[in-house]
Amino acid sequence: MTTRAQRKNVQKLVILALLTLIAVVAYMTIDVNFSKPRFLRFAMELRTPKLLAMLIAAFAIGAASIVFQSVINNTIVTPCLLGMNALYTLIHTLVYFVFGSASILARNTNLAFAVDLVIMGTVATFIYGYLFKKTNYNVLYVLLIGTVLSSFFGSIQSTMIRVMDPNEYEELLLNLVASFDNVQSEIILACVLILTATIVLLRKDIALLDVITLGKHQAINLGVDYDRTIRRLLIGVTVCIAVATAMVGPISFLGLILANLARQLMKTYRHTHLMLASAMIGMMVLVAGQCLVEHVFSYAIPVSVFITIGGGVYFLFLLLRQKR
Amino acid sequence: MKVSNLLKKYDGKAVVDSVSFEIPKGKVISLIGPNGAGKSTVMGMISRLIAKDAGMIDFDSKDISKWKSRELAKRLAILTQQNNVQMKLTVRELVAFGRFPYTGSHPTQADQKIIDQAIAYMELGEFEDRFIDELSGGQRQRAYIAMVIAQDTEYILLDEPTNNLDIYHATNMMKIVRRLCDELGKTVILVLHEINYAAFYSDYICAFKDGRIAKFGPVSEVMTKETLSEIYKVDFEILQVEGKPLTIYY
Repeated sequence: MTTRAQRKNVQKLVILALLTLIAVVAYMTIDVNFSKPRFLRFAMELRTPKLLAMLIAAFAIGAASIVFQSVINNTIVTPCLLGMNALYTLIHTLVYFVFGSASILARNTNLAFAVDLVIMGTVATFIYGYLFKKTNYNVLYVLLIGTVLSSFFGSIQSTMIRVMDPNEYEELLLNLVASFDNVQSEIILACVLILTATIVLLRKDIALLDVITLGKHQAINLGVDYDRTIRRLLIGVTVCIAVATAMVGPISFLGLILANLARQLMKTYRHTHLMLASAMIGMMVLVAGQCLVEHVFSYAIPVSVFITIGGGVYFLFLLLRQKR
Repeated sequence: MKVSNLLKKYDGKAVVDSVSFEIPKGKVISLIGPNGAGKSTVMGMISRLIAKDAGMIDFDSKDISKWKSRELAKRLAILTQQNNVQMKLTVRELVAFGRFPYTGSHPTQADQKIIDQAIAYMELGEFEDRFIDELSGGQRQRAYIAMVIAQDTEYILLDEPTNNLDIYHATNMMKIVRRLCDELGKTVILVLHEINYAAFYSDYICAFKDGRIAKFGPVSEVMTKETLSEIYKVDFEILQVEGKPLTIYY
């Protein structure tokens, strides 16, 4: 039965891949004028970077959320707890507050991306590398630190927007909602490179994830260097979330939905399957959602609003189900 | 395996102090003692789950901390009571993890055979496709033992294996321990609260008190009225059943 269940899971993955492909094709072809090559090229130039941004963000968040939940050994935690969303919001508010919306830091998206990534990377390495070691590898402390930092960043940010020029605030607000518009190709390339490097560096630790879900004692019993692996994975997760957030904005709440949908669908402990499923569900949801936003709601509502509403309801559902 | 001058401190207070003993091979050794006597901590240090502050744990003429974790996993297995799996995992998949130190996540044909044997040995055949979280406490315990058997180590360490089991399952557990030693030739070290199980099923007893060894020796030497009363501060009577000392305490 083990092999049958596995074969079934592979089938599910194939179906997911097909559905994702359909969403991608739909996104790229709906309302495109194929008769004139000039129109076609124009449409493709507009849509390709957006599509790539969505696929990369979905992959990073989907896969990282599964890893994060397995490391914490809890299936209702979201990578939001790492504090990257709050940090992103703070950095951007700070830029608008200090330098203004007309400054190069606010206008040049490549530069903004680089700044975001450097700051997030530094904070992540400090918290999840150094402090994790200091607290004797207690993941609960790390979660606590993340939560406290989130509200700390949030408080600073809300203080700043209170005294901010209203026009600047309006400009800022547009920036603080996750969106896939105007993601530059340089950014996409950088994201792909960073994510690939992370996966290559952590491939051995990712392979240990199955064992790690047996719990600390069992993992050590089976010969896993537990503390080191957990620390490397946590840093990896933070990097992935940081990349996705720096690219499209605060969106990591999506991870909670993706990871749990994947777990419900696959009913397995195999992380390669879980991560793939989670990433593909993410791609499907984002691309199909963006399709809706563009063609049905004509850009009136950004896709992140749907994610937050849907995610909130789903989160409540998960909590209630766990109580039973 | 030889333990010498083991020391562990929590917040400056020694919970295990100058503990030395040699573990005889191919026997069942029970660690007993009141709560907080340090027996579980000693077990944790022997199995590298807890880092020791001082002392030597000589395993095959090399200190346990110098061993590669993966290599040690082929020689020594530990089973604690903290086994809550959040994943959907079947019995067979759990047992297959026992082969992880040898072939990683991709068990070979030979591994599959060992897994089959372990499942059969624990009489888990009919459960092998059930999910772990759907089993009863006794069945789950057996599944974990099967995993340890599949791990195929010379030493098996069990931390309070009879905890949370009723008399029937606890007694079965102890019979399994005996079989692991007698039939498969393993050295089994257990932490036990139930002294009579220790007396009836083990070869040696190591009694702890206040972080030190109060008495270590063959069952008949440790299970005396004087020793036990001294350790537990409770009155004891010793009976002989099937040639083995059993205690009554009140």
